[in-house]
Amino acid sequence: MKRVIAAALAAAVSSTAFAATDPRTLPTKLAPAWQAKTRELFKQVIEIPTVHNRGEVPRMAKLLADRFRAAGIPDADIHIMPYEALPGDQTAALIVRWRAPHATKKPMLILGHMDVVEAKREDWKFDPFVFREQDGYFLGRGTSDMKNGDVATTMAAVKLMSEGFKPSRDIIFFYSGDEETRGVGATLGSTKWRNLTEAEFGLNADGGCATYDEKFRPIGCEISIAEKTFQTYLLTTRNPGGHSSRPRPDNAIYELADALKALQAHRFQPMLNPANRGYFEHRAKMEGDSPLGRAMRAWLANPNDGASADIVEASPIDVGLTRTRCVATMLSAGHADNALPQSASATVNCRIMPGVEPKEVQAELQHLVGPKVQVVPDPNYIGVPTPASPLRPEVLAAVTNAIHSVVDPAMDVYPVMAAGASDGSFFRAQGIPVYDVDGSWYISPLDERAHGLDERIPVRAMYDDVVYWEKLIRSLAG
Amino acid sequence: MRHLLAATALAAILATPAAAAPQLTPAQRDATHAMFEHVIDTPTVIGRHQVPAMAQYVADQFKAAGFPEADVHVLPYHTTSSTTGEDDTAALIVRWRAPGATTKKPIMLMGHMDVVEAKAEDWAGTDPFKMVEKDGYYYGRGTIDMKDGIVAITQAMINLRKAGFKPKRDIVVLFTGDEETNGIGALNGATQWLDLLGHPEFGLNADGGGIGFNTDGSPAGATMQTAEKTFAGYTLTVRNRGGHSSKPRKDNAIYSLAHALDKIEAYRFTPMLNETTRAYFAGREKLEKGPLGDAMRRWLANPNDGEAADIIEASESEVGLTRTRCVPTRLFAGHADNALPQLATAMINCRIFPGIDPNATKAELERIVADPTVAVSRNDDRVASLASPLRPDVTAAYTHAVQALHPGMPVFPEMSTGASDARPFRVAGIPVYGVNGGWTVTPIDNRAHGKDERLPVKSLYDNVVHWQMMLQDLAGK
Repeated sequence: MKRVIAAALAAAVSSTAFAATDPRTLPTKLAPAWQAKTRELFKQVIEIPTVHNRGEVPRMAKLLADRFRAAGIPDADIHIMPYEALPGDQTAALIVRWRAPHATKKPMLILGHMDVVEAKREDWKFDPFVFREQDGYFLGRGTSDMKNGDVATTMAAVKLMSEGFKPSRDIIFFYSGDEETRGVGATLGSTKWRNLTEAEFGLNADGGCATYDEKFRPIGCEISIAEKTFQTYLLTTRNPGGHSSRPRPDNAIYELADALKALQAHRFQPMLNPANRGYFEHRAKMEGDSPLGRAMRAWLANPNDGASADIVEASPIDVGLTRTRCVATMLSAGHADNALPQSASATVNCRIMPGVEPKEVQAELQHLVGPKVQVVPDPNYIGVPTPASPLRPEVLAAVTNAIHSVVDPAMDVYPVMAAGASDGSFFRAQGIPVYDVDGSWYISPLDERAHGLDERIPVRAMYDDVVYWEKLIRSLAG
Repeated sequence: MRHLLAATALAAILATPAAAAPQLTPAQRDATHAMFEHVIDTPTVIGRHQVPAMAQYVADQFKAAGFPEADVHVLPYHTTSSTTGEDDTAALIVRWRAPGATTKKPIMLMGHMDVVEAKAEDWAGTDPFKMVEKDGYYYGRGTIDMKDGIVAITQAMINLRKAGFKPKRDIVVLFTGDEETNGIGALNGATQWLDLLGHPEFGLNADGGGIGFNTDGSPAGATMQTAEKTFAGYTLTVRNRGGHSSKPRKDNAIYSLAHALDKIEAYRFTPMLNETTRAYFAGREKLEKGPLGDAMRRWLANPNDGEAADIIEASESEVGLTRTRCVPTRLFAGHADNALPQLATAMINCRIFPGIDPNATKAELERIVADPTVAVSRNDDRVASLASPLRPDVTAAYTHAVQALHPGMPVFPEMSTGASDARPFRVAGIPVYGVNGGWTVTPIDNRAHGKDERLPVKSLYDNVVHWQMMLQDLAGK
């Protein structure tokens, strides 16, 4: 699921007084007959609870596969791939190839995931797995993360086929079944199933790119082209311990505390890459002639201006986007209240800049904390660094054109680096550039409910996303 | 727990029997060894529910030696607290009745059967719950704290009974099952089981006292425990809004806690002397010719000489004896590796100088931390501990037994830095004296609660003899 930064950005938008129109009240560009078809499919998939371990993802995969089949995709090009994600979680991926009669370019991949995060009836105001339409919204688990994208991409393809559109390149639809838990589907999709997924680049429909603030001013459409690498390290100190009535001069907890203080004070090297450069160019415009805006411009002009980068990193909106960050998240030490600790350990969660090897961060941490502290990566999850996907001009142009014509001509489109990870990372790691470009939109922070309660999407955002994907496919595969 | 002043042992000390001391027979040694191995191999850690099995085993030893069933009681009880966990545990009470009428109230012999947790992966190669004899030592959790005392008392009573000894006053045994955690057994003993214990006149605790040698083989002294520091637990708690770990906040509960711990590490409580520690250091200084002895002499001459007290406190053999000490023992923080911590806590274990209110120590911790975001709370409601008045008969019996086995060994009263089951009895008006006869080499054998806990092999057998002599002196006349 996408990173959530728009809420903070919304707060930062300068308060120029202009009366914007509520985007939820504008008419959709999707024809009424297609609205009905879209709504029907959306209702069906929302009402399949594709939470991990419930075994429901294969049913949704079959439902989407049937739509492609009915639109004319031959059986030989539709693959439901069962696999196990978390131990015991029997899920599936759907891979559909829409062949070009005379391909002139390498295939294009469209990515999505069918699984959703758990939602509990007692926590919600209504049943999260009963589709609802209310006050201009569709509601239910997965309405924004991301069954909306599954439906928009599927319906766009079905609609284009019904209109006789012939792509100039193969279009591969890849919907995984465990993005929210392990990413096994994306791992397999980018490796073992590569013969089915090989493509020049991928477009990820996971999370709408566009946001408005609560005064309905457009904030922007963010295209994630890179993401930080997730890696947790365990810092451990050891000591002979002993009876707590006889404190020793050395103590595992005190030594760990010293390491944590050093970590708190440590500053990783600021770095600019194509993703965060694009983001900060946009941010600098928003911030104008404020101290923060000036610091952004100074850093963009001189990437070695660490002091300016530090000012940027200190901004709550921009934290995490200028450099690798590591933060202590958990502690565990000792074995009895009345015994000196024989070991003390801290969990340190790092988000590593694209292009930096986790081993380099491990070495930097080790140097920082000194030889008394052992630093090892969490063996349960070894992060794989992913390169930034260089922003392809034709993708930026196609997205910009589609956003301006379907969503809002005033919506800026710019690249960003995600601080979190999604299915796109597995393909990037295996050499297929991926761009997060879904065309749905929401009001920030009002509608930011992915993974949370009472998840929803504006009705118009759902319908217009079908039109958006039609345009994107026509631009990039027409 | 027990304060192990010392112990010692060069290979020579470990191997050489003391001249002219009473000896166990080979059969008595075998029985002692077998019982020790059995109880060390029983992991009586809180939460493992193994204490009742050990209590039954020890009860069976008494019964097999002829102690009547009606006087051997295994008393199951539950122990729990929010910080230590819980256990189905048990106490053992054995009453050895004096034949005929007696006007004296019983002598109580005390010990505890539970041990502190030990993790095999932390130990150097032996399983903490599989007794190993190696290089003149017994290795295993509980070898010095304090299954050696349980075995010594039990075997001493069995040997005396078999030898026809008739006590002139009742001897009553109380072995508890949660001294290391909640002390509910001792609390029960001082209240609801007091009738069963016959309202003893005083207690002799094997979980206190003891004999020490320096590594060069010279005597470091024997101590009789008459006072103990107050054991009190505190929790430092830091709360924070938390959030996603990809967006670190400036304030972080873990970092705030780290700074608080740093201040506690640097803090020095005010040095203090009381009657027991003054007598202890007066005895100790005679054995210490070097800089440590000089510091003791300086401090005794001038209790305001804080620098001298600091030198003493820094000594591995005297640590904890000059002041209140507080040390962090456990940390808990966070709820997921990819989320900023909403809660970070540290357990601070304090050993408070007798006479100081634990609430005053809480206030002192708050002053040390000096951070309103770090909350200090108490984990228990213990009150300040009391000292037991010295009894000439106990002092004489202890000195006699110690010096019979270790001629020339000086004996002095001691304030224990640890807490023991003695506390509720002292509070209830029953004096308790820590008078165990085990010995170790200081500081190399000071491993109670720690890794690779061990006891010199010879110390175990000496301790049986020690308790036989103590009982003959105090209950045979």
